[in-house]
Amino acid sequence: MKITLPGWPQRWSREQRSSATIALASVVLVLLLWLMAIPLALAPEPIGNNAQYFAEGTRITVELTVVAGLSGIVIGVLAALGRTSGITLLRWVASLYIWVMRGTPLLVQILFVFLALPTLVPALRLDDFASACVALAFNVGAYNAEAIRSGLLAVPKGQIEAARSLGLSSFYTFIDVTFPQAFKVALPPLVNNTVALLKDSSLAYAIGVVELTNVGNRIQAATFQPLPTLITTALVYLVLTTVMTQISGAVERRYDVEGRQP
Amino acid sequence: MSAHLITVDKVNKFFGTHHVLRDVSTYFNAGQVSAILGASGSGKSTLLRMLNRLERHDSGRIVVDGIEVDDELKHLDALRRELGMVFQQFNLFPHLTVLDNVSLAPRRVRKTLRADANERSMELLKRVGMEEHAHKYPFALSGGQQQRVAIARALAMNPKVMLFDEPTSALDPEMVKEVLDVIKKLAQSGMTMIIVTHEMGFAREVADRILFLDQGQVAQDAPPEVFFDAQESVRVRAFLGQVSH
Repeated sequence: MKITLPGWPQRWSREQRSSATIALASVVLVLLLWLMAIPLALAPEPIGNNAQYFAEGTRITVELTVVAGLSGIVIGVLAALGRTSGITLLRWVASLYIWVMRGTPLLVQILFVFLALPTLVPALRLDDFASACVALAFNVGAYNAEAIRSGLLAVPKGQIEAARSLGLSSFYTFIDVTFPQAFKVALPPLVNNTVALLKDSSLAYAIGVVELTNVGNRIQAATFQPLPTLITTALVYLVLTTVMTQISGAVERRYDVEGRQP
Repeated sequence: MSAHLITVDKVNKFFGTHHVLRDVSTYFNAGQVSAILGASGSGKSTLLRMLNRLERHDSGRIVVDGIEVDDELKHLDALRRELGMVFQQFNLFPHLTVLDNVSLAPRRVRKTLRADANERSMELLKRVGMEEHAHKYPFALSGGQQQRVAIARALAMNPKVMLFDEPTSALDPEMVKEVLDVIKKLAQSGMTMIIVTHEMGFAREVADRILFLDQGQVAQDAPPEVFFDAQESVRVRAFLGQVSH
């Protein structure tokens, strides 16, 4: 669902509207995390008396999503570069990574990082939150890699030839020419992946991270009132994904120099 | 041999089993405007693209202003500073404004400050008559306008030689003239140019020299008066008759 705001002043440019939307949505997100306990406290039991608990769970969920989401994009870019690299070994490593991460359940990966990894490499004994972040980041990174790869492949060869013939190094060709165009193509699937990540972060519940779903489940178990608690939990997720799609929509509009989006 | 700005020596090029260029040897001098003509598939674009290593030659040697054309990074960097290239499909960067298209390479490669790069880019845009469109994005321009920006962009790196790969082939007829006029002005300013083209009238008017490629070989190398007016080869006469209609 897309919420249509009352509309920005007519004379604002596309960039200004986009920046304003990003700023506004970010402020809304911060306010939400900071102050959401206040409106929740007004709700009847068992929500009102657990408002603070819900707010903490929501903060953890957002932290998981932001940390894993940003790392997942970096991992995705690296893996996509590996997949399209001219070096066979890199292609092979990137393909192996994507194959494993996409071919196994996220829940197993989370459990693996938390429980199995320390027995393999004792130095990698991570706490529950860090384990969840690592597993989520590498999982979403694999899906991001394919989205970014499709973006990279969509950039016409002539663009790279033009950049190289101007004397741009392969680094600047990537930074200034290939990546911005690839990112624009990859953005909608990347948003998809990140929305999925926000919801999948609930699996961190399995290793005891007290995030939103865990909070909701604990409250319903303690109060025997699953209906209001789970509806509240679901609504918080819905609000979060809505704010997120507003931000990503604004980013998309910023890149839409041709004005192809209504 | 070293007196020539660009020397091409016994160059061969294969695409798979297809022998595109066969033992091509030629040269290009400073200040000279050369037009490369020939039927489709005769290897003329390939020859041009080998000069700045967008295609690699399989054997033979190419030397541009003392720089050996090979895969060595230092050579490639130096080479591409010497040669500006204009493509058939313009290849402007769609996510950058006209001004940023022109100023990007000086800012990145020469580390020119943005203000200085922009000032110089505006001068170049003025030269191709595009200064009013500096803040537009490429999609908002006609083909002819895009190609004029592409010419300004190539000039921004102060190349010694400009390479044109069929610069008007993707244009609507009414836009060909505005691009050819810009190229003509450039030729008159003494710029060394190598132009692959199908515009016979233009080649005749602007070039000092015509190279005619046929089946991967330089079949003729003549001044335009001789090539067009005193053509002895029946085959070339047929080609000229064919394309002038």
